[in-house]
Amino acid sequence: MEASQEPRPIISTRALTKHYGRVEALSGLTLEVRPGEIFGFLGPNGAGKSTMIRTLLGFLHPTSGTASVLGMDVTLESVEIRRRTGYLPGGIALYDSLTGEQVLDYLSDMQGRAPFRRAELCDRLELPGPVLRRRVRDYSRGMRQKIGVVQALQHDPELAILDEPTEGLDPLMQQAFYRILDDLRREGRTVFFSSHVLPEVERLCDRVAIIRAGRLMAIHEVDELLARRRRRVTLRWRGSAPDPSVLPGLEDIEIDGNRVIGTLSGEVAGFVRAIASPSLEDLTIEPASLEEAFLEYYASEGEPS
Amino acid sequence: MSLRLFVQTLRWQRVRLAIVIAAGIGWGLLIPLFYNAFSDVVRELANQGAFPRELMSFGSGSLFTLPGALTLGLQHPLAIAMLAVFAIGASAPAVAGERARGTLEVLLARPIPRVGLYASILLALLVAVLIVLVAILGGMVGGTALQGIADELDLAQMPLVVLNGFGLWAAFTTFGLAASVTFDRPGPAIGLSLAYLLINYFLEILGSLWAAAAWTQDYSLFHHFNPGAILTGDFEALDLVIVFMAAVVPVIYALVVWPRRDLAAPS
Repeated sequence: MEASQEPRPIISTRALTKHYGRVEALSGLTLEVRPGEIFGFLGPNGAGKSTMIRTLLGFLHPTSGTASVLGMDVTLESVEIRRRTGYLPGGIALYDSLTGEQVLDYLSDMQGRAPFRRAELCDRLELPGPVLRRRVRDYSRGMRQKIGVVQALQHDPELAILDEPTEGLDPLMQQAFYRILDDLRREGRTVFFSSHVLPEVERLCDRVAIIRAGRLMAIHEVDELLARRRRRVTLRWRGSAPDPSVLPGLEDIEIDGNRVIGTLSGEVAGFVRAIASPSLEDLTIEPASLEEAFLEYYASEGEPS
Repeated sequence: MSLRLFVQTLRWQRVRLAIVIAAGIGWGLLIPLFYNAFSDVVRELANQGAFPRELMSFGSGSLFTLPGALTLGLQHPLAIAMLAVFAIGASAPAVAGERARGTLEVLLARPIPRVGLYASILLALLVAVLIVLVAILGGMVGGTALQGIADELDLAQMPLVVLNGFGLWAAFTTFGLAASVTFDRPGPAIGLSLAYLLINYFLEILGSLWAAAAWTQDYSLFHHFNPGAILTGDFEALDLVIVFMAAVVPVIYALVVWPRRDLAAPS
């Protein structure tokens, strides 16, 4: 029988460290991004998200540690990495004197691969021909961002690295962008994107890494992270509330007549089974949000994982 | 090396290039006209002692011979300004400007090695400088023909003049681009490159106008491009070696520094 083999990670870093003089922008960062997943890289401004991305693309040289993308070393084979990768920089700047179409042609020519997906992407992001023929200097922030998305994905890269991709996009375009990423995932493409917009990470990502001050705080499956979240629970009973000891997993309990309010950690199903009773009149469990999970990590002074 | 980047770099410059080519040809046409019209008068006044002897030459040129007048035309601030439009004005902000605007990031995301990116931009700028130089010299040759004094010029030496002149301006271009890959903003790159050019020019002019400071000329790159001497068969190969060495050193520097530079997010 053949031994099962993990697929080779698309992105892999080992103790990746980057110093700017005395400033430690990345510190011993180790993570892996699996093929075909959408991986969110979360952190506040200045946490090291862009430094990580720039190191992966060869714009920055690691102080120590190693990193590989698509199985290639980021310092030795960055050209080949960039050939097979699409990159959207955060707050993208474009050539103002060119039209949108000229920008896309220019960048596509230098990419050396035909822009297979351009027409489809422009259609989905509502960039019709007349708009593309206007000069970039006349574009709004959102229009520039759309051009940025198209230039990153038009050559159908194996890996998309997107730095704050929905910045400046209106809600409708954000939804269109999410659907594009969903399709990329279905096609087996890998997406690594940084964000501090938690609902979009929750909506899109399979896994998420949380980074703070250059240190990796946690990597989780998004579903697992949400499942671990503490949820606010309100129960109302017919008659008086039961003894809190029969409410497993419920903490910070407040009892107000027949109403019990508390926070629930861990699995919901077990809790619901335990409290099932004919005298239970109402139960409200507020949805777990990634935002709370995120805030918990950032509020804590705990050691990184 | 990216052909697309090379072409695009020239495209960015096309309007400027058209204007400077026209100005260069015009300037070149004027020099033989001035020579033809005023050299005898100036010579007569000089013989009468109307000017101090030092003012008879400006840089390495003079109005007394056609080759000397051509040297004068190429060392005149107007010609310097025309060539510096590309040798400094386009090269110094070429990379630093992209970096300051943030567009360098989308460029670097392409599968082009940094050395290839540098080479593409450098080659395009050198082509622009060469075109301007040829335009000025072409104007001079045309002007000489129009004035009916072509027999005073040994056209067979003209390729050497182009080569030597190109070496001189290539030196400023490579310096400008080396400064450009060093800084994050175009201001310091332009300032440093301009200072380099002006110091060279100052040393040349100072030495030509003040006999006691004649030694300063040897330290100026401008002194190692003397079309008058070349056209009269007095070409010194060492001049060519010096200007091309001055062109190569910044290239070596850039090839060492640029691929190793960390390019953090623009602030």
